[in-house]
Amino acid sequence: MDILSAYPGWLIEHGAALLVILPLLMGAITAIMPSERLSWVTTMIVTLVLTVTSFGLLLTIMGGESQLYRLGGWDPPHGISFVIDGLNTPVLFLISAMALLTTLYALPSVAAEVEPKKRPPFYAAFMVGVAGLIGMVVTGDAFNVFVFLEVSSISTYVLVAMGASRDRRALTAAYNYLILGSIGATFFVIGLGFLYMETGTLNMADIGRILADLDGGSRVAMVAFGFITIGLGLKLAMFPLHMWLPGAYAHAPSFVTVFLASTATKAALYLMLRFTFTVFDPSFDYVITVVTYVLTGLGIAAMLFASLQAIFQTDARRALAFSSIAQVGYMLLGIGIATAAGLSAGYLHLLNHAVIKGALFLCLGAFWYRYGITRIDDFAGLGKMMPWTMGAFTLAGLSLIGVPATAGFVSKLNLVKAALDKEWYWAATIIVVTSVLAIIYIGRMLLTAYFQSPPEIDGEVVAKNEAPLMMLIPMWFLVLLSVAIGINADLISDAARDAAAVLMSGGS
Amino acid sequence: MTPHVILRVVSKFLIPLIAMFAFYVQFHGDYGPGGGFQAGVILAASVILYALIFGLDAAKKAIPPSWVRIGMSLGVLLYGGTGVATWFLGGEFLNYSVFTPDHPSHGQHYGILAVELGVLLAVASVMVAIFYAFGSRQPDLTDEDW
Amino acid sequence: MPSTIILDIGFMAMLVVVAIAIVRLRSLFAIVMLQGVYSLVSAMWFVSLDAVDVAFTEAAVGAGVSTVLMLAAMLLADRESLPVPMSRQIGPLIIVVLIGLAMFYALGDMPAYGDPHSPANSYVGMDYIGRTADDIHIPNVVTAVLASYRGYDTFGEAVVVFSAGLGVLLLLGLNGNAGKWRAKPNGVRISKAAAPAARRRPLPKDAVRKGDAS
Repeated sequence: MDILSAYPGWLIEHGAALLVILPLLMGAITAIMPSERLSWVTTMIVTLVLTVTSFGLLLTIMGGESQLYRLGGWDPPHGISFVIDGLNTPVLFLISAMALLTTLYALPSVAAEVEPKKRPPFYAAFMVGVAGLIGMVVTGDAFNVFVFLEVSSISTYVLVAMGASRDRRALTAAYNYLILGSIGATFFVIGLGFLYMETGTLNMADIGRILADLDGGSRVAMVAFGFITIGLGLKLAMFPLHMWLPGAYAHAPSFVTVFLASTATKAALYLMLRFTFTVFDPSFDYVITVVTYVLTGLGIAAMLFASLQAIFQTDARRALAFSSIAQVGYMLLGIGIATAAGLSAGYLHLLNHAVIKGALFLCLGAFWYRYGITRIDDFAGLGKMMPWTMGAFTLAGLSLIGVPATAGFVSKLNLVKAALDKEWYWAATIIVVTSVLAIIYIGRMLLTAYFQSPPEIDGEVVAKNEAPLMMLIPMWFLVLLSVAIGINADLISDAARDAAAVLMSGGS
Repeated sequence: MTPHVILRVVSKFLIPLIAMFAFYVQFHGDYGPGGGFQAGVILAASVILYALIFGLDAAKKAIPPSWVRIGMSLGVLLYGGTGVATWFLGGEFLNYSVFTPDHPSHGQHYGILAVELGVLLAVASVMVAIFYAFGSRQPDLTDEDW
Repeated sequence: MPSTIILDIGFMAMLVVVAIAIVRLRSLFAIVMLQGVYSLVSAMWFVSLDAVDVAFTEAAVGAGVSTVLMLAAMLLADRESLPVPMSRQIGPLIIVVLIGLAMFYALGDMPAYGDPHSPANSYVGMDYIGRTADDIHIPNVVTAVLASYRGYDTFGEAVVVFSAGLGVLLLLGLNGNAGKWRAKPNGVRISKAAAPAARRRPLPKDAVRKGDAS
């Protein structure tokens, strides 16, 4: 707790609000900045402050203190309040830290992919997106979730569409995302309306209390649960609602893909956990039915079908996007198991997958940065052309598969254990089977990269051209972090166990 | 532009009234229906009406796009800045009561006034910005297009 | 009381008619106009529900400025929408019917229309009405809730509007000159550019689908 004492008191006291307000206000300032370099520096400073602040909050949580921040000084349920507890603080830290790492990476990457005069507003949109995700996670008010869901979504649509200067298909991808995202948001807000009709309040803890008093409430609450699940399902790319994701990840600017892949679906998944276990409660019949049958079923379907689809992709980013959908399946399976062990395994996988997928997409962005390639066939000889980046890609890929001594292994092992505890042997089998499928789609990329010779252009073999240091640092940081988690997962497992404890206690 | 005499004369008379109505809606929001959102939209409508009748270039001369860009940010900053000010005065974010600790409700008045102005600025600027963006992608609208 | 119920039913019936007309029409100009009509009718309905602030917003935003913006956007695109084959309408129809059924299922347990003891009318909402006069000293409770009690939400909404403006700025530019710049790798490009240049006419629906969801 020594580090915590170095924090000024106000930073911890107002930290929750600072996490949202700082990027929003600095985003508004950045939007009118004349200089692209200045806008990057601002983004860097903002994300650094966010990371430091959320780390401080994480430390207070580990010290066993949860916080309630009353915006405008109004007590809940009349005002909006922020909640800082064991469930959302790790996600907050994840979002801030990933924002910091991707901003570091953005300097070279954005220089290659975004028009110079658009870079300040581009960084502004990025900051607003970060603030939106943080706002969704930090808040304790159900309607406020919707507002910040919109903030993050709108800026994300724009960020995805900015990939158009690299590939015009980004525009249709962003449009798809916009339509499906708006439908998801509409479902979510209809669900909230029904919840308000049932309980007369918008504060999550208050709704949870009233619903518990009503023993789950009437059919209105039941339908509200359905709408909220579908709405969040669209946002987190739950299996049949995932159609927006591959296009968005494949065509967005590299740095946006990295950030989205490692945070956006994670924030939505956190909300799913929050709503399912603390606003509603698995002790209600309809909730446990949906969790056990629907979420598990869709999770399993995602693991199988999305992994299979990943194998048949020609575009590496699209393959990894399908892999992301499959990985969301693992997390849903963890929720579906609905025991403390299952939830903590799912939560652990949420954190680990963010690290792994972030690293993988960072590498893919570097490949494009140097050679303009995204197709797997073009990977030929990358092992020689970009040895360090390819090394990082290999380690992160192994982690995605779940090779021992990597982060992926830890969370998959926990998931298998949780499934076995519940005597869901079939689920454990499917986890193993889909890991084999992951070997195929990752293996294909590795084989092409290492066992084919570099292509020739005009009779000359393409020269080695390693990614710049600004790209290698975040990439290797995440890869080494994944290995470190694989070797000693105590810290992150504890965080996941605390989060599961919050969920199992119904949020109090 | 074709000389739409009636339109021009009527709109010259109407546009200031629309803008004034916007400010009425803005400042009367404490007592009757209205507030920053509605006022911002109405204010933007007056600019858009001007652009439709006198042409986009004339509108851009009156309200330059660079102002609009700054207005967007300024609106958000004004709203957020009010919150930051309450922070520095020792309250929670957007706790307007700290402006006048002796009469919390007065502070609430000032705070509401400031944030509503922020909303007005942001909404009006963004609406005009969207219209400029769409309008600039094509030559001036001909009668057949309407 | 019954007279306003008749009014409400009339407005809702008009909304249904307008909505069906919007779905059936293919002329985008008529659709945009009807959307304005839809907003105006719902604004009137909100007035009859005593939600004047909402009605005002709906009239100003929905019927006013968004109609103009939709028209401006429409002028950049075609004037007619392409016909959608029946086979592609069945899926959405099933989904809409299912959602409707879900809502009807909930209907039986909903509080009666205008019930003063329903949770929505008795709990936090009632508190706001009771407290505003003491806390904030202004007569319009809606403004009090919007700008003070839930001022942070309104801040979020202002940011939503701001990011929409930012999006327009990034994608179109305020002077209509965005979108010409091309990204290029900082090295040798091995493969050729992945996508063909943008075409004047939109691709046939199937081609877009294949590209995005294969």
